[in-house]
Amino acid sequence: MATSTGRSLVSHDTQKRLQRIAVYLTALLISVFTIIPVYVMVVIAIQSPATTFAGGRVNLLPTQPSLRNFLVLLGSTDTVRYFVNSLVVTLGSTVLSTTIAVAAGYGLTRFDFTGKSLAARAVLFSYMFSPIVLAIPLYVVFSTLGLLNSHFALTLALTAISAPFCIWLMWQYFQTVPIALEESAWVRGASRWRTVRDVVLPVARPGYISAAIFAFAVAWNDFTMARVVMSRDEMYTITVGASLFLDRVSIGWGETMAVSLLISIPPFLIALFLQRYLLQGFSVGGLE
Amino acid sequence: MSTALKSRLAAAGSALRERDVDGTTLLLAACFVPMLAFFVVVWVIPIVYALGMSLFASPVRNPEFVGLGNYAELLGNGAFWGFLWNSVVYAVATTGLSLVIGLGLALVINQRIRGGDALRTLMIFPYLLPTLVVIFMWKFILDPNIGILNQFLVDAGLIDKPIAFFSTLEFAMPAVVVTSVWKFASFAFFILLARLQAIDPDLYERARVEGATTWQAFRDITFPHLRGAILIILLVRGIWMFNKFDIIYLSTRGGPLQQTTTLPIRVYQLAFSEVNFGMATALAGVMFFLLAGVAVVYFRAFAPEKEVA
Repeated sequence: MATSTGRSLVSHDTQKRLQRIAVYLTALLISVFTIIPVYVMVVIAIQSPATTFAGGRVNLLPTQPSLRNFLVLLGSTDTVRYFVNSLVVTLGSTVLSTTIAVAAGYGLTRFDFTGKSLAARAVLFSYMFSPIVLAIPLYVVFSTLGLLNSHFALTLALTAISAPFCIWLMWQYFQTVPIALEESAWVRGASRWRTVRDVVLPVARPGYISAAIFAFAVAWNDFTMARVVMSRDEMYTITVGASLFLDRVSIGWGETMAVSLLISIPPFLIALFLQRYLLQGFSVGGLE
Repeated sequence: MSTALKSRLAAAGSALRERDVDGTTLLLAACFVPMLAFFVVVWVIPIVYALGMSLFASPVRNPEFVGLGNYAELLGNGAFWGFLWNSVVYAVATTGLSLVIGLGLALVINQRIRGGDALRTLMIFPYLLPTLVVIFMWKFILDPNIGILNQFLVDAGLIDKPIAFFSTLEFAMPAVVVTSVWKFASFAFFILLARLQAIDPDLYERARVEGATTWQAFRDITFPHLRGAILIILLVRGIWMFNKFDIIYLSTRGGPLQQTTTLPIRVYQLAFSEVNFGMATALAGVMFFLLAGVAVVYFRAFAPEKEVA
């Protein structure tokens, strides 16, 4: 038991050293836990199944890298088409979500009206909302309107789940942008619109890059909405299309991990080059 | 409501026109119309429509008004409470474990250890990797025939024969939980790390000068600064996990024998396997009201809207 005077059974130095060891051990354990699955995916993707499963055991030290799995994907699956579908709806919803969020964030911080806390609650409620609980009503409406199996419907559905957090993020972000900048532009005779274009948008850039990354990640990651909205094979996004790969006799773990590696490229690039924007998003709550 | 809002917006607009800057009304519209239109089209209309549907038997083919009949049938069926229980178990286990791992790692990295930046970058992957990819990884690792975990456990003599984790009654839920924690622990980690890095280092310096132990510093400085964030993580992450669909659907489809069927999985089954939209929308309605109830508590307890309004 810790005592109020801070005395303990072991000397201060030993205590410090033990603490240091515990810290590094925790870091090591969590790194290993995090790295192993990613490593397994990469290795199986880049060697042929013959190499991976040689001798009845899984061989995870890559000795003979091969593009065989990727060639099979290109040759005998619709991987390319699925990727195109994913890109269309992901980019569409990223642009839509970010645009709505920038406009709303600017308006909500620059105009005064009562009922703002109601608006904030509505945004937060939709932010916590369950994608599947929203997917059922959207399915019903899209089905009534004959919009199932369209990029347009899926783009709207994806925007529905990413926009609330993006709005919240931009709302918080614009609060940190002093209105004095805009006022000094007005004083110099700039119109309100010109001020937005030349002063506000450049200053808000880190904010909307951050919002765009979250919107992108949500849409790229999505399985639920695409599964519900798209039922025709040629409209599948890559996550829905690839989720059915393992059910096919002709596709094994090699191709499955190869497509996983391809799906992971955009997240990988974000982690590498846009990390600070992502961390900024986490400082106001993060998403799903 | 909408006319009240309109007059408020108009009042706001005229207040700005007095500042003698042009184009204000149009700007006001440009700011709010996209957001309002969007909320009405993808949130309000679908939800109201679906809630209406939940009052009908076979609402698609030949609708017959049954009032709250679907809700009564749903809540009166013992299976519902089993699925609710599965949701609670899954939400509590994944949220609790994610918080423990996320907090541990955030405290570790905040010590400015060697390799800390690399470890932080590494933790972005689970968060950003699509759920499907995470499922593939873990399905492979836990596979009974070729999975490396089974290979390891058999070699080490811990088990006699391989275990089909995702399709065995007692292991399915733990396997789904581990897979989920792998993906979602980073969420707690990044939020807590952001809070930790915002603590004034002078506080620790002063505590050290006064002879406080590491534990005392944690209890009296670190923890009070993290408490709000921890509660938010428990609440928001808990809600999200309670409502999680994709990770469970992709790993077990809710099986074996509905062992991992949570409410979100059940909604999907009702709508798309049993094509019973009356019951599916009723269950979605129940989940909607559950969420609304939790949201009311959240707003009362934390007043999160104070951050912006």
